[in-house]
Amino acid sequence: MQFKTFDIIPHDTKFDFVGKRHIAVALSLVVNLAIILWSLPFVHGLNMGVDFAGGTEMEVQFGKAVDPADIRKTVEDLGFKGASVQTYGAEAEHTFLIRVERISLLTEADVARVADAVKTKLPVAGFAFNPEFGDKIDFQFSGAVDAAAVRAAVEAAGVKVRDVREEQGLTAGTRSYAVITQGIQENVQAGLKDHLGDAQPNVRRVEYVGPAAGRELQAQGLKAILYAIGLIVVYIGLRFDFRFSPGVVIAMLHDAIMTMGYFTITGREFNLTSIAVILTVVGYSVNDTVVIYDRIRENQAKLRGRSLSDIVNLSINEVLGRTFLTSFATALSLIGLLVYGVGTIFDFSMAMLFGIVSGTYSTWFIAAPMTIWLEERAEKKRAKAKGAAGSAAAQPQARTAK
Amino acid sequence: MERSWYWRVALVVAVAILSIYQLVPSWFYFKLPPDQRNTEAYDTSVPGWAPDAKHHLNLGLDLQGGILLSMGVDVDRAVKTKVARRADEIGEFLKGKNVAFTGTQVVGGGAQVEVTAANPGEVKDAVLGSTGYSEEMYSPGGAPEGAVRFAFKDAVLRDFREKAVKQAEKVIRNRVDKWGVTEPDIKTKANNQIQVQLPGFKDPEKAKELLGRTAQLEFKIADDENPVLDQVRTQLPQCQGDRQGLSLPLPESGCWTVEPVELPNGGSRAATMVAANTRTELEKVIEEKLNPLLDPQKNVVGIGEGQVGQGPIKTTYYRTYLLRAKTELTGDYIADAAVAIDQSDTLQRGRPVVSFKMSPEGARLMDKLTSENMRRRMATVLDDKVETAPYIQGRISSNGQITLGSGRNQQDMFDEANGIALVLKAGALPAPVTITEERTVGATLGPELVRKGTLAALVGLALVVVFMVVYYRGTGLVADVALALNGLLVLAVMSMIGTTLTLPGIAGFVLTLGMAVDANVLINERIREEMRAGRNVRQSVQLGYDRVFWTIVDSHVTTLVAGVVLFQYGSGPIRGFAVTLIIGLVASMFTSIVVTRVIMEYFTRHDTARLSV
Repeated sequence: MQFKTFDIIPHDTKFDFVGKRHIAVALSLVVNLAIILWSLPFVHGLNMGVDFAGGTEMEVQFGKAVDPADIRKTVEDLGFKGASVQTYGAEAEHTFLIRVERISLLTEADVARVADAVKTKLPVAGFAFNPEFGDKIDFQFSGAVDAAAVRAAVEAAGVKVRDVREEQGLTAGTRSYAVITQGIQENVQAGLKDHLGDAQPNVRRVEYVGPAAGRELQAQGLKAILYAIGLIVVYIGLRFDFRFSPGVVIAMLHDAIMTMGYFTITGREFNLTSIAVILTVVGYSVNDTVVIYDRIRENQAKLRGRSLSDIVNLSINEVLGRTFLTSFATALSLIGLLVYGVGTIFDFSMAMLFGIVSGTYSTWFIAAPMTIWLEERAEKKRAKAKGAAGSAAAQPQARTAK
Repeated sequence: MERSWYWRVALVVAVAILSIYQLVPSWFYFKLPPDQRNTEAYDTSVPGWAPDAKHHLNLGLDLQGGILLSMGVDVDRAVKTKVARRADEIGEFLKGKNVAFTGTQVVGGGAQVEVTAANPGEVKDAVLGSTGYSEEMYSPGGAPEGAVRFAFKDAVLRDFREKAVKQAEKVIRNRVDKWGVTEPDIKTKANNQIQVQLPGFKDPEKAKELLGRTAQLEFKIADDENPVLDQVRTQLPQCQGDRQGLSLPLPESGCWTVEPVELPNGGSRAATMVAANTRTELEKVIEEKLNPLLDPQKNVVGIGEGQVGQGPIKTTYYRTYLLRAKTELTGDYIADAAVAIDQSDTLQRGRPVVSFKMSPEGARLMDKLTSENMRRRMATVLDDKVETAPYIQGRISSNGQITLGSGRNQQDMFDEANGIALVLKAGALPAPVTITEERTVGATLGPELVRKGTLAALVGLALVVVFMVVYYRGTGLVADVALALNGLLVLAVMSMIGTTLTLPGIAGFVLTLGMAVDANVLINERIREEMRAGRNVRQSVQLGYDRVFWTIVDSHVTTLVAGVVLFQYGSGPIRGFAVTLIIGLVASMFTSIVVTRVIMEYFTRHDTARLSV
């Protein structure tokens, strides 16, 4: 028999994974909670990309061909985040659609100040400001006013106005105007002129765009993921044992949170591609866990009488080589993306690497020991029930003894 | 070798050949420079023996770009519809409360509801006294003597306009999904605009038609007993020819002709209808000549199409229907719609129709409507066009069908029926939309990211392939063959069903390639274990595969279960991810369980075989 190959992990490794589980669980719990806390909007929050939060879209025309990479860099240097640059129309038009994360230059306080100032001059019936629709204030007036008066009143409050549009006031006797204030368009125009002046940039319009994945889509996606978790629980329960199901789910959540952690900690843009990464990591996590469970199931049948924690430890050690190799091979496939990838692609691969490491760890220290913990609990419950039954049985005797 | 081995080899070879065959169109697609891929040049470059040219791998918006459509939602029209509906509701409400009034109507350019009554004060108190109405409406005053006016509050209107845009976005997304376009990018913009980006450049006309269609379906009863239109005979010329064969072209002013109609009492009547060459001409006649004759509270004039001519050479003209103003039922009550073939004993038999199914509430209303209007004509009005107006012959409740105008070939009619069924199923837009902009757009990731990304992915893949050979030697090579076949199979299926490949989709693809690697690692590690236990190579291979079989099945099926659920309930990128995942997992199971085993069994067919693993 020819056997000259080598094992990365010696095949008879006997590392006590189960014994380390308390430290590991505590560590994971702390890290996970920290990530969740850090991701909460009022603590620090995820850097939600245009996909989720909406953003600002600009149409810029150049006088000659420009490298989109230069435009991206210029726009990001101006302080806009998550810029995506897309050619718009035929190539000869040199027109680009630039999307950046939302920046609303107006604040609620500014709007209140402007509204107060306008109220002193014009009969304001009401006003509305929604940062989701950008730097735009809607005014209703109960008497006759014209656009020029509105503009003058707003500018007197110290806010420059780009446009005042009359909107169809459907209530008889009132007039509605939308006041669009200056800011982003002028900023971008000036910034592009500074850096790419020889290409004659012309910012043709700046608009607010809603999210591509709005609330409804997010809710729908969340529902899909919950259903998927539910079915995984059922499948594992049927093929293995329902005591195995929680381990898979907890390891899954653990890895999803850890992957999200990459975006929280680095502050990189969280977008639809990030969701795909998390789903991929969860897929790996489940696959990884199931392989260990499979070995536990096999060893349980083979080694009756051994304690579950022995069996779990043995199983993890037996498949150690494979778990390591698979993770290694996948990580290897990401190396190219890490070296050559930029922007979204770099984040994609870095988060994936994060997730794979976490997935490997969670299989060893979270998913498998979870079954032991559940088993121990079940045992204690059984013992308690037995004890209770025993004392219940003992009571009548005590009574007769009286 | 055992007999089953030959069968398995045949299967593997067949799958491989079929996959390569399926990839032929994609090969020619990507061979062309990017700017020619979506043109005629591609269609002509695919050789005749290859699968249909449309089955090629498509790249998503992030990698390739596509078309951008900006659509303006006519929210004011939506508001007007709401006001008109509210006028009806207030009428019903007052009836229910036994408050005396003589009529309700919409005034002030569609913004206000006016109720005429002997005692307007009582009406005002009743309406504004109810919590439901007082929250949304107020009385702006300015009503003439003997009437009271109501209008919506500004906040309600603003909220309603925003909701109309949101609703329109949802319907458009639904339509794109149902059309089968994967990974669109749909978002709302300021000024009641919706921006839709569709990957690829196919069928912009079809997209415009599908997305721009309001799909407002209404059922109205024809008012054939009403002789009001007969007065128009003195104002317009009479059409030449008869209804079966009007001689075209018709006079530009429009003309009248008679249409024999059956009446519910069993009699019949020669009703007047007006015809014109174009819809615009007819609309003008209706506006100038017919509408002044009508009481807008009671009647409206619907426009339908008629055909003149025989066989394939037919000319369309436009004609009027006198309908009752009230919309009896709308498409909101439609639960499902599909293309069917007309089974009725009419000239339409065998033609494609749209069959629809009503919701339970809709079925109840339809049943009531049809039983009350037996032997009258019921007009099916889709987007302000009377599609058909058949006589109600019996009670209809849950199922109905829409017959389309004839005069086109079967394929065109089928396509139209398909489009209508799709928009009915996806829901009507709350307000008409107009396409304000149509542009081609480049990849959202930008060309330099796409180029670098492709290079990076290839480098990664090469590293894995090399690693497998270095670590497992011969068996690693076998695993690499399986990996290659796996990739081939996934791409082939994806081009067959026309999946759009995006960055999230590639994540799904990487995951399945990883799982394919994993399956091979599992098998090889197991074989090593069996060899360590002292078995010979042939036994080790057999045992290894047998024992690992369920491990692979379980790990794949668990993930597959998740994939199917994500596909079923997710939309957009989640769905795209799920599609690649599902295809990849099935392919991975096939290559690891069947393909590598066939190869390994061949090399270890003798007990004395050697194996580097």
